[in-house]
Amino acid sequence: MGDIRYYAGVDIGSTMTKVVIVSDRIETALIGPTGPEHRKLANKVMEDALSQANLKFEELSYVVATGYGRINVPFADRQITEITCHAKGLHSILPTVKTIIDIGGQDSKGIRIKDGKVINFVMNDKCAAGTGRFLEVVADSLGVALEKLGEVSLHASRATPISSTCTVFAEHEVVNQLANGEPVANLVAGVHESIATRVYSLVRKLQIEKDIAVTGGGAKNIGLVKALGAKFGSPVLVPPEPLITGALGAALLGKEKCEKAILDGYSPTRSKEGLREAKLFL
Amino acid sequence: MAEEKKGRAVATQTAARIPKFVRGNLSATLKAKEEEKKVAKAFIADGQDEIMRAMDIVPAWGESFSGVCAAKRDAEKYLQKAESDNFSRSLCTYATCHIGFEMIREEQGGAMPEGAPWGGMGRPDMILGNGQLLCDPRFKWPQALQHYLKDVPVFITNMYYPPWDPNTDHHEQEKFYVKYCTEELRETVKFCEKVTGKKMDWDRLAAVVELSDKTWDLFVDTYDLRKAIPTPMDTGDAMNTMVPLTFNLGTQEAYDFYVELNSELKQKIAGGIGVADPEKYRLIWAAGLPSWFALNDFQYFNSKGAVFPVEVTYRGCEKIERLDLPKTNDPLEHIAWRWVRYWTHWYDAARKRHGSTPKVERIIEYIEDYKCDGAVFHSAFSCRSWHAGIINQADVLRKVYKDIPILIMEGDIVDISSYNEADTHNRIDAFIETLEAYKGKQKK
Repeated sequence: MGDIRYYAGVDIGSTMTKVVIVSDRIETALIGPTGPEHRKLANKVMEDALSQANLKFEELSYVVATGYGRINVPFADRQITEITCHAKGLHSILPTVKTIIDIGGQDSKGIRIKDGKVINFVMNDKCAAGTGRFLEVVADSLGVALEKLGEVSLHASRATPISSTCTVFAEHEVVNQLANGEPVANLVAGVHESIATRVYSLVRKLQIEKDIAVTGGGAKNIGLVKALGAKFGSPVLVPPEPLITGALGAALLGKEKCEKAILDGYSPTRSKEGLREAKLFL
Repeated sequence: MAEEKKGRAVATQTAARIPKFVRGNLSATLKAKEEEKKVAKAFIADGQDEIMRAMDIVPAWGESFSGVCAAKRDAEKYLQKAESDNFSRSLCTYATCHIGFEMIREEQGGAMPEGAPWGGMGRPDMILGNGQLLCDPRFKWPQALQHYLKDVPVFITNMYYPPWDPNTDHHEQEKFYVKYCTEELRETVKFCEKVTGKKMDWDRLAAVVELSDKTWDLFVDTYDLRKAIPTPMDTGDAMNTMVPLTFNLGTQEAYDFYVELNSELKQKIAGGIGVADPEKYRLIWAAGLPSWFALNDFQYFNSKGAVFPVEVTYRGCEKIERLDLPKTNDPLEHIAWRWVRYWTHWYDAARKRHGSTPKVERIIEYIEDYKCDGAVFHSAFSCRSWHAGIINQADVLRKVYKDIPILIMEGDIVDISSYNEADTHNRIDAFIETLEAYKGKQKK
C-alpha cells in the first residue's frame, strides 16, 4: 500500500448506514440497513467496506462519523453533523451546486453552500410528511414496492391532489381515493407532488440559488426528482450515488483534517476504541 | 405529572436569586386577600405596571405562571384542559395554559388545583388586557377568561405606537399616539380606582415612574457590561435576570437586583471570568421567546464555546437619555412618551439603510456593539404575533447587513410536544460547524 493514506466516513442514517473509504479517490462505498437490530453494528458495515477495499482497519488514518447515529460509533475519531458532511461530499462531486435538498428516511433538509461550506440550512425533523417515511407508508398502502414508486408515477395521466399534509391522514386519503377508483399511478404522482411542495416550502427559506441537487433516498425516486424540478422551477441534479454523499463528505473532512495536521506538525487525536460494536443496547 | 428535569446551572450568582423573585410574585397574589389588596391579571410590557404598583394592586402575571409551568414541564394538564373546551393547540400557549388552570380552579369552586406550581396564582379581582400593537391574545385571552371568571371585571386597552413605514416620518405622528396612549392609561387608572375603591396617589405614581426610569438606565448599563470579552453573562441567565425588569418594574427590589448584578458582572470582568472557557463564538439571540422547558439548551451552546452576550428578547428598555423624552409633569404622559419612543427609536436608523426595518436595525446595532459572529432566532409556533416575520428578519439582516451565520430554531414557549432535544442539539451542532467554517473563511 506504500504511502497511500486512507480515510473513512460512516453515515448512520435512520434507515441506512453508509461507509465510504477514500484515498486520493473513492476506494469503496458500501450501503447497509440501519434497522433496530443493525443500529449497533456500524462496525459490520465498516468491516464489509474494508474487506471490499482489501484494507485493514489499522490502515485507516482517520474515521469520521456522521448522521443521526454518529455519536454512537465507538471507532470514529470525530463526529461531524450530516449537514456539513453532505455539503462537503456533494461539492466534491457536483461543484456548481449551491442548494442541496436531502430527503432522508425520517427527515428532510435544505442546505445552502458556497465554496463547499455551509452558509445556511433548514431541517424538517418534526413531521414525516416530506420525508422518505411518507413514501414508505404510501408504498405500503398502495401495494407498490418502494423502489418502484418513481417508475409507476411516470405512467400517471395526472397527479391526484393530496390535500392532507399529515402522513397518517394522507395515507387515509390515498386509500379512500384508491377505493374510489383513482389509478395508482396518479396517486403516486400526487404523493410526489405533495412531498415536493412540502420540501419546497421548507427549502425556500434559504433563498434558493441554482444549481440545485437532491441527495438521500428520495433522490433515487425518479418521479419525486421530476416533481421537485417542477416545483423548484429548475432541473434538479442527482449525484451518481445519492445515498453516499454524507459518508463521502465525512471521509473527505477527515482527510482534510489529517492533511492540515501534518502540515501543522502534529498528529490528530484518534479514538482508542477498536472496530467494535456500539454499546447502545447493552 | 411533572417530568424530572436536571436543574439549570447559572453563570451568575445574582441570577440564582430569580426563583425567589418569581415565587414572591406568585405568593403575593395568594397573600393579597389577607392584606386587603386587589389582584389584577395583567400583562407584561404594556405600560400598566406603574399604575398597579402605585395603587398597591398585586399583578398576577399569566405569562409568568405559564412559563413556570413550562419550566417545570408541568403545563400539559392545563393545556389539555383548555383544549377540552376547544382552545386550539395553535393558540398562544401562555394563554391556554393559564386558561386551563383557571378552568380547573373554577370547576373546583375556587380551590387551588392540586400540584399547582409553586403554590399557584391567586384568583384575580380584575383583568387588565392590553392589545399592544401586535399581540392579539392580550385582548382575546381576557375575553376568554371572562367566560370562566364571570364575576371578574375586565378592562382592555391598547397601547399603540406609529407602525413602521419607511416612507413616513413617524415623528409627525408621535403626539397623536402619545395622546391616545395617555388616555388609555388614564382610563385604566379610573377602572382601577373603581375596582379598588381607592383614589390614585399621583405623587406616588410620579415617584414610581421615576424609579422605573432609573431601573431602565441601570438595566441597560448592566447589560452593556456583557460587551466584555469573554462575556460574563449570557442569554441563558438573561432569561432569568429579566424578571425584575419585566415583572417588578417600579419596585425598589427590582432596582436593587440590578445594582447587585452590575457589581457581580464588574467583578467577573475584572477577573476575566467568562461563561464559556474558551469563548469561541459570540452570538445574538436575535428574536423569539425561549422554550421555557429547554433553557438548558443555552448551556449546550456554552459547552461548544458559544455564548450569547446579548439578546433582543426581554430587553424591553433603553437608556432614557437616548429616547430624548419631552418634559411633562403628567406621569401617565411620561409613560406614554417612553412607550412610543421605545418602540420607535430604531425607525430613524432603519430609514437610513435602504431595505432595512427597525427590528433588523436593532439586531445590527447589537451585533456591532457586542461583536457577535452569528445570530440565533427562535420561532415559537404558538406565538404568532411576536414570531411571525422571523424568517423575513433573518433574510433582511443578510441582505442589508452582511452574510452572517443564522440559526432558526423551532419550538414553542410552553408546549413541550413540539420539542425534541436530540434534534435541537443536532441543529446546534450543525450551526457551530457553520460558525467554524465562516471563521475559517475570514482567516483566509
